[in-house]
Amino acid sequence: MPVAASAIYFLNLRGDVLINRMYRDDVGGNMVDAFRTHIMQTKDLGTCPVRQIGGCSFLYMRISNVYIVTVVSTNANAACAFKFVVEAVALFKSYFGGAFDEDAIRNNFVLIYELLDEIMDFGYPQNLSPEILKLYITQEGVRSPFSSKPQDSRPPANATLQVTGAVGWRREGLVYKKNEVFLDIVESVNLLMSQKGTTLRCDVTGKILMKCFLSGMPDLKLGLNDKIGLEKEAQVKARPSRSGKTIELDDVTFHQCVNLTRFNTEKTVSFVPPDGEFELMKYRITEGINLPFRVLPSIKELGRTRMEVNVKVKSVFGAKMFALGVVVKVPVPKNTAKANFQVTAGKAKYNAALDCLVWKVRKFPGQTELTMSAEVELISTMVEKKSWTRPPIQMEFQVPMFTASGLRVRFLKVWEKSGYNTVEWVRYITRAGSYEIRC
Amino acid sequence: MNADNRKGELVELKNQLRQLAGSRAPGVEDVKRELYKKVISYMTIGIDVSSLFGEMVMCSATSDLVLKKMCYLYVGNYARGHPDLALLTINFLQKDCHDEDPMIRGLALRSLCSLRVMNLVEYLVGPLHAGLKDSNGYVRTVAAMGVLKLYHISPSSCTDNDFPATLKTQLLQDSDAQVVANCLCALQEIYLAEASRSDGSLKDRDSLYTTSVIYLLINRIKDFSEWAQCLVLDVVSKYVSSNPEESFKMMDILEDRLQHANSAVVLATIKVFLHLTLSMADIHQQVYERIKAPLLTLVSSGSVEQSYAVISHLHLLVLRAPTVFASEYKHFYCRYSDPSYVKKLKLEMLTAIANESNTYEIVTELCEYAANVDVAIARESIRAVGKIALQQYDVNAIVDRLLQFLEMEKDYVTAETLVLVKDLLRKYPQWSHDCIAVVGNVSSKNVTEPKAKAALVWMLGEYAYDMLDAPYVLEGFVENWAEEESAEVRLELLTAVTKIFFKRPPESIKMLGAALAAGLADAHQDVHDRALLYYRLLQQGVEIAERVVNPPKQAVSVFADTQSSEIRDRIFDEFNSLAVVYQEPSYMFLDKEHRGPIELTEDTGILPMDSKLSDDVLPSQHVEANDNDLLLSASEREESRGGVGNGSYAYSGPDLSGFDTPSPAAPSNNASLSSTSHTSPAIDDLLGLTFPAAPVPTSPSLKLKPKPLLDPATFQRKWSQLTIASTLDHTLSQPAALPSPQPLLRHMQAHSIECMASGGQAPKFKFFFFAQVADSPPSTGFFLVEFVVNTSSGISQAKVKADNADLVTAFGNLFVSTLRKFGSS
Repeated sequence: MPVAASAIYFLNLRGDVLINRMYRDDVGGNMVDAFRTHIMQTKDLGTCPVRQIGGCSFLYMRISNVYIVTVVSTNANAACAFKFVVEAVALFKSYFGGAFDEDAIRNNFVLIYELLDEIMDFGYPQNLSPEILKLYITQEGVRSPFSSKPQDSRPPANATLQVTGAVGWRREGLVYKKNEVFLDIVESVNLLMSQKGTTLRCDVTGKILMKCFLSGMPDLKLGLNDKIGLEKEAQVKARPSRSGKTIELDDVTFHQCVNLTRFNTEKTVSFVPPDGEFELMKYRITEGINLPFRVLPSIKELGRTRMEVNVKVKSVFGAKMFALGVVVKVPVPKNTAKANFQVTAGKAKYNAALDCLVWKVRKFPGQTELTMSAEVELISTMVEKKSWTRPPIQMEFQVPMFTASGLRVRFLKVWEKSGYNTVEWVRYITRAGSYEIRC
Repeated sequence: MNADNRKGELVELKNQLRQLAGSRAPGVEDVKRELYKKVISYMTIGIDVSSLFGEMVMCSATSDLVLKKMCYLYVGNYARGHPDLALLTINFLQKDCHDEDPMIRGLALRSLCSLRVMNLVEYLVGPLHAGLKDSNGYVRTVAAMGVLKLYHISPSSCTDNDFPATLKTQLLQDSDAQVVANCLCALQEIYLAEASRSDGSLKDRDSLYTTSVIYLLINRIKDFSEWAQCLVLDVVSKYVSSNPEESFKMMDILEDRLQHANSAVVLATIKVFLHLTLSMADIHQQVYERIKAPLLTLVSSGSVEQSYAVISHLHLLVLRAPTVFASEYKHFYCRYSDPSYVKKLKLEMLTAIANESNTYEIVTELCEYAANVDVAIARESIRAVGKIALQQYDVNAIVDRLLQFLEMEKDYVTAETLVLVKDLLRKYPQWSHDCIAVVGNVSSKNVTEPKAKAALVWMLGEYAYDMLDAPYVLEGFVENWAEEESAEVRLELLTAVTKIFFKRPPESIKMLGAALAAGLADAHQDVHDRALLYYRLLQQGVEIAERVVNPPKQAVSVFADTQSSEIRDRIFDEFNSLAVVYQEPSYMFLDKEHRGPIELTEDTGILPMDSKLSDDVLPSQHVEANDNDLLLSASEREESRGGVGNGSYAYSGPDLSGFDTPSPAAPSNNASLSSTSHTSPAIDDLLGLTFPAAPVPTSPSLKLKPKPLLDPATFQRKWSQLTIASTLDHTLSQPAALPSPQPLLRHMQAHSIECMASGGQAPKFKFFFFAQVADSPPSTGFFLVEFVVNTSSGISQAKVKADNADLVTAFGNLFVSTLRKFGSS
C-alpha cells in the first residue's frame, strides 16, 4: 500500500495547527496532541523522522518554520510518504511563488485546502503535477477551462488525459515570441579528508536544471561528454570519438519526461520538456573528481590557554576563474575567549555561537594560495583537562563555470515541426556539498 | 478571545450569511468568500462552527467554484456529527453530480462520498454508478475512490451493489491510467477487508495477482503517474512468476524504472526485482549488483528524511548481502552533519561489510568517530569496532585500537571499551596478557557506568593471577558496597570476590566475608539470593563451590544474535514499508492483539528497566523475614547435626564474624561437605539456574481461578489504589525465545494468569497481568502484576499488587515458577 495517509497536519514551531486535512477515519482526531506531547515537547524531536505512538505512525519533516506531519495507521511506504510531502510543498511554492513558511500558509489556506483535496484522495496520492493542476485550480473562482466555452460541454480528449495526469507534463498550444532554453549544470562536491591529507571519501552529486520557453511540442536531445554516451555514438557513427575528457557517471536518474527506453538502448537523453523550470536529471560521480580547493590546516594547542591556528587554502581551478562566497569554518573549543587574526585576503572573526573561527573571502581567484592564521586565547577552566575533540573544518563556496566532475554539455538539439530557431544558454556551477577536512 | 466574545462573532457571522443567502446583488460572491474564509479558518484552529451549518448550506447555491469547494470542505467536516443537517446538502450535491462541467461532477461526487453518514448511503449508489460510467476520466477516478469510501461506511451496500465486480472490469478496460490505479487500490483494500470479514480466504485478492492483470499493468507502466507506479509495482511484487524466462521479461520491461527520480518508484522496482529472483540465487546476486548504484544515488539526494527512508532499506539489504556492498564502504562514512539516526545506520552497515580487505580503513574511520562530540555515536562506533573484532578480521590490530581507546581518558569511551574488552576476552582468552596490562592501568574511579564497572569487576575476578592488585581494587569496591546503586555491579562483585578467593585466598578472605555479609543484607532480591547461594556453596566446601562458581570455561565462539533470521525474512518480505524503518515485522506494530486491549498511555518505547526503581519500592520487610527463616534453618540444621561441622573453618550461621579467623580450607571441611551435601536439595535446584531461588514457600500452595474476569476499568482503579506488595526480578532462561509477546501471553494464560494489556517494542515489552484466587468471590482476591521484560537480555521485573496482601509471597513464587517453565517448555 503506497501511502494511505490518514491525516496530514501542518504545524508551526509552537505546535499550533496551521492546516490539517483528515483523509480517513481510522485515526482519532487528537493525533496532533499525541504528536505534540510525544515528539515536539520531548528531546526526541529530531532524533528520528518516523515515530510510532499508540499504533499510529508519524512521519514528519520540518520545512522552514513548519512541521508537516503525515499520520498513517497502516504499514505504509515511508519513502513514498516523504516524497509526497516534498512534492506537495514544491507544488504549493509554485502556486504562491517563492517561500513556503507559516505566513505563506496562513495567507493561502483556502488554496492549500483546495490543493490538498485534489492531490490526495482517501489517503492515496493522485495528481501532483503543477502544470496540470494549474489548469483547473486557479483561485480565480471562475469555472474550469472545460466549461469556459459554454456551448462546448465536452472537453477535448487530450485535455482529459492531461487532467488525469497520463501525459502529465506539457500542454499544447504554447507560444513564445523568442524560443529560449536555459541549462544549468549544478554540482555539489562532497569531500572528507583525513588529517594526513588523504581523501577518505569524495563524490559529486550533480543535477541539470532546465528552463524552457519553447513554443509547440518540441523534441529535445541532450549530449554530454559521458563515457557511455560517447562510446555508443562512436559505435553508431563508426568513427572514433573525439579526444578529450570523458566522464564516467556512476548513476543517473531522470525527470519523467525523459524517454528511458531510448536512454537504455541508444544512450541518448531525449525528451519533450515541460514548460518552465524543471530538474532534467540527477547524477552521481565518484571517479576523476577535480577538487576546487586544497586545505592545509595546522592547529597547535599551546598549553591550556592558547592555541595557534594556521589554515592555508589553495585554489586549484583555472587562473581565469574565481570562486564566490568562500567561507572556511575552523572549529575551536567552547571556552575560547578571543582570537587575533592575520589574513592574506578576506575577513575573519570568531563566532561564539558556532564555536568556530569564520573566515570569509568574497572573491577567490584561481591558482592562488591564501592563508589565515589566528592566535586563540582560551579561558582556563577548573575542570580537569579533557582532550578536546576537534570537529572537522568545513568549507562553503561556489565556483561558476567550473564542474568538479568535468562534465560538459556537447550539444542540445531542439526539433519542432514549425522549425523555429532557438537560443540555448548553458551555465555551470560547482558548490560545496559537505566539504570536510579533519584536523 | 474569550468564549462570549467568540459566541458574539459567530452570531454575527450567522446573521451576515443569512442576509446574503438570497441576495443576487453584484459583488455578493466576494463578500461571501470572505465570510466563508473566516468560517473555514475558525474550523482549522479548532473552533466549533457547526452552528452555522444551515446558513452555510443556504449560501452554497452558487456558481462560484471556490465558494463551492469551501462549502464542501465545511460540510464534509461537520456532516458526521450532524447527520440530519447533512441531509440538507444531499440535494445540491446530487444536482452538482449532473453538472455539465466534469470538474464539478467530480468534486460533488467526492464530497458526497466523504460525508460518511450511514443513513445517507442510499443516496450514494446512484451517483457512484453514474460516475464510474462517466465519459470523463477525472470523474471516474473520483468514483473509483468513492467506491472504497462507500465500502468503509457500509461494506454490505458496497458489495450488494456489485461495485467490486464493476471496479474489476474497469481495472482491465479503462483507458485512463489514473482510473486503473484507483480501481487497483480500492480493490486491494476491499478484498483484504472482505477476507478478514468472512472466511479469511484471499481468493478474491489473489485474483488481482494473476498473469493477465499483472501483464496489463506492466505493459502500461509508463502511462501511470509516479505515485500510481509505486502502487502498481507493489502489486507486481506480489506476483509469483511461473518460470525464469517470465521473470527476465518482466525485469527487462521494468529495468528503466531504476532510473526514475522518485525514490519510492526505485524502491518499489527493487522490491519487484528481489522478489522475482528469490528462487534464483545467482541472478538474485546480480540484482544486488544492479541496484547498488541507484540506491547509493538516492541516499545522497533529497531531504534528510527521504534519505533516511532509503538508508533504512539499504541497511536491510547490506545486512542480507554484505559482500556485494563491501567495496562501497566509503559511501557509508558518516558526514559530520548527518543526523544521528542516519549515522547509527551507517555504523551498522560499516560493521556488516567489514572483511579482510577493508577492515583496516573501516576501523580507522570508526576510531575517528570514537572522538565524536556526539556521545551516543561515539559509543556506537566503539561497539562497532568491537563487533568487527569479534568477526575475526585482523583481531591483532583491532585490539591495539581498543586499548588506545582506554588511553583517551574519556569516561564514556573507557566505559564502552571495557565492556568490549570483556567480550573479546571471552572469545579470545589468548589476548589476556596484552589486555590485562592496559586494563590494570584504568583507574576504577573513572569507571562510573554500571555495565563498564561490571565488566571491570569481571576481569578483575577472572584474571586475578595476572593483575597483582586485583584483590585490593576489588576491596575498594566492596567497601563502597552501600553506595553502589547498580544491582548488576553488586552481583558481579559477589562472583568476582568469590572467584578471587579460590585463587588468592589469604588476600581475599576478609573481603569475601564482607561481601557476603553485605550481599545477604542487600535489599535487592537477586543480590541477596546470590550471596546466599555462594554462602551455602562455600558451606559445602571450597572445591565444590569452585566447581560451580568458577569452572573451566570454554571460549565463546559466537555471541547470540539479537534478531532471528526468521524475523529478518519477514521484514524483507515487507520491503518498502515502515516495517523496514522500524526494523520489525508489521504485525509487531499493527496488530491490535500485539499492542494489547488497552492502549498504554505512556510511551512504551521507554520503559523503565532500571533496577533502581525496584530498590525504591522493595518491601524489605518481607525479604528480611524470609531471610531470617532461611538462615535460621540453615544454622539449626547444622546444629542438629551436632559436632560434624565443628572444623576450624566456621561457617556456622548468620554470624559472619567467623570469617575473621584466617584459615585456609581445612581438611575437616570435607567431612562437613559429605554430611551436608544430601541435606539441602533446595540448593541443588538452584545450581542449574541463573535466577535466584524463590524463598521457601511460607504459605500453603495457592490455587488460581482458571478463567478470572476483570474489566479494564476495575483493573486501573485497583492498580491505582493498591500499593506494590512485592517486586520480583527474574532472568528468562531463553530470552531469544520471545520475539513477540504472544507466546508468553498464551503460556501465562495456560497457568491462569491473564493479560490485561501489553505493549512495547523489541527488545522491551511490558505486560499487565492479573489473576484471582480460586473460590474467591467476584472482584476480590485479585493479583495485579506489571511485568517488564527485556527479551534480548532476558532480564525481567514484576511488580505485584494484591487485594489480599498475605498471599503475595505465595503468588510471587507461583508467578516466578510459571515464568521459569516458560523457557523450558
